[in-house]
Amino acid sequence: MKKAALAAAFLVAVLAAPAGARSAQPPLLPAASIGSTQGVTPAGMMYSVTPDPAQPAAAVALWYRAPASGFGAVPAAGLSRVAALTVAASTPITGTPLARLAQELGARLTIEAFPDSVSITVLVSPEHAARIVRAMTADYFAPVTDAAGLALAQHDAAEDGLYRSYDAPDAVEDAVESVLFNSGPFHDGTIALPKAVAALTLDDVRAFAERAFRPANAVLVLTGNVTAATVAEAATRDGALSSAEPLVHQTVAVPGSPSQRTSSVAATGLGWAGPAIDDEVAATSLDFIADALFSPQAGSVQRSLGSLDAKVSGTYVTYHDPGLFVVTISGPDAQAALPIVRHAIAQAAVPMNPASFAAARAAFAFRLLSDMETPEQLADTFGWYAVEGNLAYAPAGDRYFHVAAGLTPQVVARAAARFLGPAPAIVTLVPARAPSPAKQS
Amino acid sequence: MRVLAAALALTVMLPAATRGATAATAVVDLGGSRAYVRSDPGLALCGITLFVRAGLERQGANQNGLAALVAESVLRQRTSTGVPITDAVSALGGSLSYAVAAQYVRFYLEGPADSIDGLAALVSHAVAAPVFDTATLTAARAALGARIADDERDPRQVGMEMLRESHYLGGAGMPALGTTSSLAAFAPADVQAFFAGWYGRGDAFVTVVGRTGPASSTASAALIAALPAGAAAHAAAVSTRPYGTQPKRLVTRRDVFAPFVVIGFAAPSLGDPDFPAALVMRTLLAEVLERPSATTTPLLLRAGGTVYGYDTTPSQLTLWINGGMIDPTAGISAIDAVLKRAAAQPLTAAVVTRFKERARGEWALENLSLDERSWEIGNAVAQGLDADAAAQVDAAIAGVTPADLQRVAERYFQRFDVALVLPRAGPGG
Repeated sequence: MKKAALAAAFLVAVLAAPAGARSAQPPLLPAASIGSTQGVTPAGMMYSVTPDPAQPAAAVALWYRAPASGFGAVPAAGLSRVAALTVAASTPITGTPLARLAQELGARLTIEAFPDSVSITVLVSPEHAARIVRAMTADYFAPVTDAAGLALAQHDAAEDGLYRSYDAPDAVEDAVESVLFNSGPFHDGTIALPKAVAALTLDDVRAFAERAFRPANAVLVLTGNVTAATVAEAATRDGALSSAEPLVHQTVAVPGSPSQRTSSVAATGLGWAGPAIDDEVAATSLDFIADALFSPQAGSVQRSLGSLDAKVSGTYVTYHDPGLFVVTISGPDAQAALPIVRHAIAQAAVPMNPASFAAARAAFAFRLLSDMETPEQLADTFGWYAVEGNLAYAPAGDRYFHVAAGLTPQVVARAAARFLGPAPAIVTLVPARAPSPAKQS
Repeated sequence: MRVLAAALALTVMLPAATRGATAATAVVDLGGSRAYVRSDPGLALCGITLFVRAGLERQGANQNGLAALVAESVLRQRTSTGVPITDAVSALGGSLSYAVAAQYVRFYLEGPADSIDGLAALVSHAVAAPVFDTATLTAARAALGARIADDERDPRQVGMEMLRESHYLGGAGMPALGTTSSLAAFAPADVQAFFAGWYGRGDAFVTVVGRTGPASSTASAALIAALPAGAAAHAAAVSTRPYGTQPKRLVTRRDVFAPFVVIGFAAPSLGDPDFPAALVMRTLLAEVLERPSATTTPLLLRAGGTVYGYDTTPSQLTLWINGGMIDPTAGISAIDAVLKRAAAQPLTAAVVTRFKERARGEWALENLSLDERSWEIGNAVAQGLDADAAAQVDAAIAGVTPADLQRVAERYFQRFDVALVLPRAGPGG
């Protein structure tokens, strides 16, 4: 599934039934009874609309396939984030920057950069959804970038990078990807520290924005209290390149001995390359394993930690090819927690007993559904799977549910053995030592 | 509010009330108690909140933390086969949580729409005959202790708690979760007595959101029916201590990196005609502390913000300033100047229009998750309002005039108390 708090939905009925609780397997149900409309506009923009008139708000999102460190041969850390922020903060020909428009409408604008994609999302009251679609597409399809916008973007990006560098799961994911992949967007990572952000120029940002933010490279996602007709409000742009950026296949490195890196936080990370997004059974199996082992409070690893003062998180990130299974361990007792994690991963290759499996799958389904209650969460789901090249498999739809319903203890165990059986990439993050008082004086 | 043809078996529909702007909540009679149902068929999950009039206000002078201890203990009941109730709910694909407010405690159950009845049956078992033995209370105290420690690490939370204690009288002014020492003093009999006194079916109601149907109908009825019969001897009422002409200054020290200033104002409650204007004022105050940004600044990176406690009547609005990001003195001065200006003369129509537009947008995003949407309905009902009262606020904000803002600024925002949460002094500091 998408990284972080993502989404999905599925076999409500099957998952809700503990072993023996119901005599017959009820039919599968999708996450939402209101359908999605998907297509491509004449300008080449892909769109996905999922209306739910009972929602109090609407989400308008633009997703782009674009490397976090730019298209150039030399990575420019933080470029996709800074470029997207700069466009939002610059004054377009309409006169009002998107950031200010969102503020004036009481909306929430968020911009997120992932290794191979970037998203711009506005959560807004339903009456202003069409206006945001017009403004957002006009601003990004023909991007205006000015010095004032860049300055604001660099400030925000530097702050974000600094903050995320102290977040153990974020820092570990970047570090693990840099070890697990030889080159490309995954290797380059998404955390950009203030010095790198400050080095980006207006020319860098303009060149990136012109290439990345074209209509043909865009996915417009509308969810919540919107109508399908709102897509027609999207701007177009004549003369822009008419094809989307290609999907990038990442080359996995052969894991070597554990590595150590200087960081802002102390943590240990383990990473495995997972299946491609098209291997839906295996990808769903790894989603399930991540949930069963690492779900906060309820995951089996969390419960096994006992009185240890350690934080453990784990997730499967469904990238195009390959995906990434990553585990983060931090806290004073991190070393003591590591064998517990390794043991749990090894045990995942042993089929669970049917009753435990049914309960774990029920909990998995619920948490997926629970992470898709708001328009913003749903927009994240559709946008992620669209840019990764398998929108039909987005966990908000029937297909994911059917795949999940077909999982068995044996299927899951086989996926664990295949993808989590090999030695992981292991990275230990060590905080840089502060100068001693003697040296300071 | 609109009465829908909800599919609740063996129930009687109540007369229609006022229709909300976009929301439409059906009211269903559950044999004397009520269910408030707002359906969203676009979701697969259903959320049901059981509201019980057993909040902080019910606590006596020596009962600091008892409301939370009882609620936590209810959540820690076990099924007939000995499985903790929350684990049993989770194993069936759901979740169960609770929250304590001044005028109610609420238990929130969420799960797949077609099996929510099975989950509710587990919760009903816990509510019907809870066992408050020593082991249960020990576990409940530990859980509350962890939450108290978490809250203590958040300087905004610490400041707001200080201001709440200063403003509200009686149990409503006590710390929401009590203190570790106050919790330690309660015996099983205290917990049992509180439950017996306040967990009456006659005062309770449920709100239902998300995908609804026969299973949610069964679940709602079961949750209400599980409570002991009867109602509290007297209605919940919250009283306050008026703010003085000079701000009260409350100071504490915590393990925080920077000083935090939290300012508390009396504020109109949800049903008050001045509530919409106070929301506009909230937006105006928040903007004073904002810095230019390319996106909506995440909470953790904000220099300041507001929290409107409209879960209680009378309400309190608090405004916090992160001293690590903005000079607290400058922040307070800026806020003070804006409030004095707003009270002295009407703001221009253009300014008011701008802030009304923003306040309306922010109000639309106020409650988005199922839990929040369920709370929104119940919070209004608990305060004696129409279930769709929150949905009617949008139109009311649109009608706010410059004179309304001036009146609200003068009536509510000229007197306040200040809580200072300061870093502990280091060696030699």
